[in-house]
Amino acid sequence: MSRRDAWRMTHWLIHRAARSAPEALSARLEEEWLADLAARSGALSRLRFAIGCCWATRIIAYEHEPSRVPAISSVVADKTLVPYTDQNHGFLSLRSSTFCLVVSLHALLLYGFITALSHTRSAVTPDPLQSQVLKNPTPHELPMPLPTPHLKGMTIEVPKLENDITYEPDPDSSVTTEIVKEPSQPSPPQPASPHVMKQVQGGPGAGFPNPDDYYPQRSRFLDEQGIATVKVCVDAKGRLTSEPTTVQTAGSARLDEAALRLARAGSGHYRATTEDGQPVESCYPLRIRFQLKN
Amino acid sequence: MGKKNGNVRMSLQTLKVLELFLENPTEQLSGAELYQRCGIASGTLYPILMRLESAGWFVSQWESIDPSTAGRPRRRLYRLTMTGLKRASEVFASFNRGVLA
Repeated sequence: MSRRDAWRMTHWLIHRAARSAPEALSARLEEEWLADLAARSGALSRLRFAIGCCWATRIIAYEHEPSRVPAISSVVADKTLVPYTDQNHGFLSLRSSTFCLVVSLHALLLYGFITALSHTRSAVTPDPLQSQVLKNPTPHELPMPLPTPHLKGMTIEVPKLENDITYEPDPDSSVTTEIVKEPSQPSPPQPASPHVMKQVQGGPGAGFPNPDDYYPQRSRFLDEQGIATVKVCVDAKGRLTSEPTTVQTAGSARLDEAALRLARAGSGHYRATTEDGQPVESCYPLRIRFQLKN
Repeated sequence: MGKKNGNVRMSLQTLKVLELFLENPTEQLSGAELYQRCGIASGTLYPILMRLESAGWFVSQWESIDPSTAGRPRRRLYRLTMTGLKRASEVFASFNRGVLA
C-alpha cells in the first residue's frame, strides 16, 4: 500500500463517515475532519483518525435524533455523576456493528502493512545467486571416510627361539658355549599381516673352534667360571664383518678376553642368520659359557 | 447529543476536555489541537464536542484564514461559552465538594 493509496483511503473513509452524519452536519463535519486530518502526520495516524470519524459519525447521528432520551441524568441537573451506561439496545447493536467495522478496517490495515513489508523485503534483499557446476560429483565424498591404518608392507619378525644352543665340538671339553638371543621386548599386539618373514638367527657353525682351547690357564687355576656374552656381526658366509665386542661380562677380564679371542677365531665358521631360508648378514649376541668340569 | 436544556452526559473524556478549556476559557481550540493536548481519539472527541456545542457549553466557528495563503484548510474552532464556563465550573466544584466521588 503506497502513501498515495493510504491518503485516498483515509479521504474516502471521511467522506463516507460525513455522508452518514445528519444532513445538517454532513458538510461541516467533512470539512472539519478533512482539516484536522491534514494536521495529522503519518499514514497510520491518519487512518486511525478516519476510522475514528466513522465511529464518531454513528454516535453523532444517534444522539442527533430528537426522539432519543438521555440515558443518564445530567451531572448538572442532579449533582451526581454516574458511570456512562446506555440502556438502549438499539444503540448497542449500532455500537457492535461499528466495532466490527473498526476491527475489519484494522485487519485490512494490518494485511496491507504485511503485504507492503513483504514487497519491500523482496525488493531490498535480492541476493545475487552464484551457480557452481560440480564435475563428476562423488556421492561418497561426504562424510569423509575415516583414515584406515596402512598395513601393507608391515612384517612381524618372529624369531625362532634357539636359545641355549650348546656347542659341544668335543665331548671331553670342559668348556661349553651357548648362543643366546638378547632378551626381546614383548612387542605390542600388531594387526594381522599378510606376510610373516621367518628368520632364524645364526650361531656357531661347523668347524667353530673348541672353546676349551681358549679357557685361560690362570682362570682354571683360580677356578674362575662364568658366562660372557659378545656381539658378533656375521655376513652371509659366516665371516665376521666387524670386531666382536663384549656385551655382558663373565665376571672376569680374563674370561671376557678369552671369549673375544674365541669369537675372532670362529670367523668363517659361523652359521649365518637366514630369512626365509636365505642367509643374510646380521649381528647377534654369542653367549660363551666357561665352566670347569670336575 | 447535548440537550438544549444544558444537561450533558459526563464521562472521563468529557471532563478532560472541559478541564482543558477551563485552563484558558477564552482560548479557541480545534479538534486537532484537542487531540494533541488531550490524546482523545477522534471517535470519542467529536461526539463530545457536538454534545457540548448542542448543549450550549461550546460555540464553534471556522478559522478566519485564507487556505491558499496558509497552505492548509481552515479548521473548526471551539470556544467555551459563558454558560459552558459556569456549568463546567459547577461540575468541578462538585468534585471538590465530594458529591461526585
